[in-house]
Amino acid sequence: MTPTRQITTLRAAAVIGSTIIGVGILSFPRYMAAAGGSSAPLVAFSGVVISIVCFWPLAALCRRFPRESLFVFSRRLIGKPLSFIFALLILLIFVLLTGLTARQFGDVATTVLFKKTPIEATVFLMLLLCQLSSRRNIVKFTYIHFFYLPLIIAPVLLITLISMRNMDLLNLQPILVMPSAAFWKGAVKASFLFQSSFIIVLLVPLMQKPKQAVRAGILAIAVSGIIYLLIVVAAIGLFGSEETKLLIYPTLESARSAAVGEGFLERLDAIFIVLWVISVYTTLYSTYYLASCLLQHVFAFRDQRMSSTLILPLTFIVASLPANVFKTYTWSLALGLASMIILAVYLCLLWSMYLLRRPGKRGAA
Amino acid sequence: MIFHTALPKEAETLQSWNEKYESYLKKKQPGSPQAPGAGSLSRSLADNLQQLQAVLGANGDLVIRDFLLFGRHEAAIVFLSSLVNEEQIREHILKPLLPGPENSPGVPEDPDHLIHYIWAKAVQVTQGNTEQKLDHLPPAIVKGSLALLINGVTESLLLDIRQVDLRGVDQPQTEQVIRGPREGYVEKLENNLALLRYRLQSTDLRIEISPLGRRTQSRVALCYLDSIADPQLVAEAMRRISIIDTDGIIDAGYIEQFIEDQPLSPFPQVQNTERPDKTVAALMEGRVALLVDGSPFALIVPALFNQFFQTVDDYTERFIMGSLIRIIRLIALASSLFFPALYVSVISFNPELMPTDFAVAISGGRAGVPFPAVLEVLIMEVSMEVLREATIRLPQMIGGALSIVGVLVIGQAAVEAGLASPITVVIVALTTIGSFATPAYNAAIALRMLRFPLILLAGMFGLYGVMIGTIVIFNHLLFLESFGVPYMSPFIPGKWRDWKDTLVRVPLWWMRRRPSFLHTTDSTRLPEAVPGVYEDQILQQGGETDDPYPSDHNAAGRSRNR
Repeated sequence: MTPTRQITTLRAAAVIGSTIIGVGILSFPRYMAAAGGSSAPLVAFSGVVISIVCFWPLAALCRRFPRESLFVFSRRLIGKPLSFIFALLILLIFVLLTGLTARQFGDVATTVLFKKTPIEATVFLMLLLCQLSSRRNIVKFTYIHFFYLPLIIAPVLLITLISMRNMDLLNLQPILVMPSAAFWKGAVKASFLFQSSFIIVLLVPLMQKPKQAVRAGILAIAVSGIIYLLIVVAAIGLFGSEETKLLIYPTLESARSAAVGEGFLERLDAIFIVLWVISVYTTLYSTYYLASCLLQHVFAFRDQRMSSTLILPLTFIVASLPANVFKTYTWSLALGLASMIILAVYLCLLWSMYLLRRPGKRGAA
Repeated sequence: MIFHTALPKEAETLQSWNEKYESYLKKKQPGSPQAPGAGSLSRSLADNLQQLQAVLGANGDLVIRDFLLFGRHEAAIVFLSSLVNEEQIREHILKPLLPGPENSPGVPEDPDHLIHYIWAKAVQVTQGNTEQKLDHLPPAIVKGSLALLINGVTESLLLDIRQVDLRGVDQPQTEQVIRGPREGYVEKLENNLALLRYRLQSTDLRIEISPLGRRTQSRVALCYLDSIADPQLVAEAMRRISIIDTDGIIDAGYIEQFIEDQPLSPFPQVQNTERPDKTVAALMEGRVALLVDGSPFALIVPALFNQFFQTVDDYTERFIMGSLIRIIRLIALASSLFFPALYVSVISFNPELMPTDFAVAISGGRAGVPFPAVLEVLIMEVSMEVLREATIRLPQMIGGALSIVGVLVIGQAAVEAGLASPITVVIVALTTIGSFATPAYNAAIALRMLRFPLILLAGMFGLYGVMIGTIVIFNHLLFLESFGVPYMSPFIPGKWRDWKDTLVRVPLWWMRRRPSFLHTTDSTRLPEAVPGVYEDQILQQGGETDDPYPSDHNAAGRSRNR
């Protein structure tokens, strides 16, 4: 009784959205402030635009092959060996990404709220949770994202809006500055956050309307982009760009400053952090799931159950590697850049082969 | 319940579930011939019976008894054994009709006059009428009439002999209501089916009865509404019953354990109820109900998470109250699961989350307690569970006394002895009360059970542990299915229009359609025009209307079409 094609466009968008909103939410305003000063919102906006531009060719390509995942049709387009190498590279990227994200999460969790919990336990519990839930099929995967999305968006929106009450508009001026190299670098950094929209490649083969893959992705990127923008505006507006550069987790600070009433709900940041665990979980779940599916594809397993178990030690090792918080961030930025390049090359290759072979394709279909 | 069979098909009524499943599939296959439409009664008795069989044949309690009327004419009586008094049939119908012509003088030779003779001189039944239309017979039969058909006569006699034997029907113990019917199932299957039929007088109600269990041969009835229930669902239910091969079925609970999707889950995936009205409501939504002879519980499938915090009161009371009480119940449900875990994690890991005054008060109360908060809460929770179990097993008189002793005396003494702090007692009490507010006992137990791992996680990892535990529980709920329907429907996968009956209960006239996740063959509950009447009344006239009977609003060509 399991019909195929169960994923609606809205649910696909929810998956991408909840994947994008993740661990980065806490430190995001700092990068933006460092890159653009008071024009940080503009930097973030450019980042969103860049990621939409990057997402478009990927989703558009997947849309052309509504019945297969990227890794299946890439074998036909660019040949087995090359597609195998790229699958391996992307697998590596997502294992690293999962591990580093888990580590970032562990760092925040242990320094801010769960001070008495050892970081290994925090990280391992989270990865174990991802492993357990990665054993389910992709439809259930979308259920989870769809269910948690309101729990992710609502608190962020609420706290941002509350903290905006105390905002000083002067801090946000000048809004427009001359884009410099730092500006664009920051924009590219911002677009790294949206890289996990890659998850669309798993969803397309099961979408009810695969033609709407692009629309789903752009909707998701736009919504999460607005949320990220709001966070930046709130943080910069509250603290000013110079102050924001000094804060490790500016979003958390703005949550801390957002108190409702006297003595009632004093610590909004605690509620925020507790719910933030969910948004980290959905992000990690997506990357973990993607890594398991890739491993399954590489080894040609029947499903991703076995490979999800194999991923667990790998990601945990990656998460334990960085010596401190700053190493973690340096590494994840480097990873972001590397993955952006690899994906771009991969996509260019696929698109060019697709365009070359298209007449033949049409005849075959 | 078959005395004798006039048609070969009838022998199949007591076939095994396996064969039933196959024949049902065959019947539901697209393109299979539908039951022929019936008009007037034909002269041939066999034809008439065949037509009736086509309409009512799927019911296990249908009885067709053929006999020789006055030793001369072929005749048959048709009735539903669950609705009539068989003693009365024997004494007052069969007895005067069976004797040969020598014992009944004055019997007319002409078959056309027979009906009037029988009504005037033979049967001793107070109410009855003649009927010439064949398609009027099935509705009368399901209401408890007995139809007498005679070969060669195009008229039948309908005798009202309904006797629903409701002796011993009592208020359900497990599902009490403030407002709503007070009757519950009893042990006898016939009575329970009669209670169902009494509330659902429709020819669409199908009751399939067959024995189950190698030794007990308990009769199991599967009920559904033919024009509403999804054939796939009915077929799936039949399939699951058909593969049960066990020694004995003592109670509906035995079947539940064989047919549920995920036996390892703490959450019940089959709903049980003692209430016929609840069963009827479920049937009308397109669900399938199972009754077992000897069990006062009906099983309803598919059962979803939100059903376990809904009660009859929600629907019998006005919608605002219904919604409010439902939300309160949901809060109780959540508190029975999370309260102690949150308490433990906040008090032992993040005391800064509490307002300062409160934190000081709590730590003052905990000053004399030698254990860590986890242990303290666990001790109190376990003793509370023991107390609960003891109170259920004891006779009611002693049970009341015990709960007073347990809660008041021991609770107070434990605080004074330094075993627990007062705030812990408060928390544990709130949790327990919360778990009692969940209407479904088995769902409440599931949450109670999950409370303990959550407390342990809270003791080990603080709020983070609670969060992880919560995610695990929710993920499990999202993965669960009941008869192919996702357990968290209609939240996930989201169908907005089914949300009308989940957290809140919107007015009945808003719920125009049946839940879509049940894939009913007929999804309309209310006609299109009806809700408009109420909405116009409320929205445009502020709830006041000059016309107390706004029936003319029903007229076609309404400007607002929703």
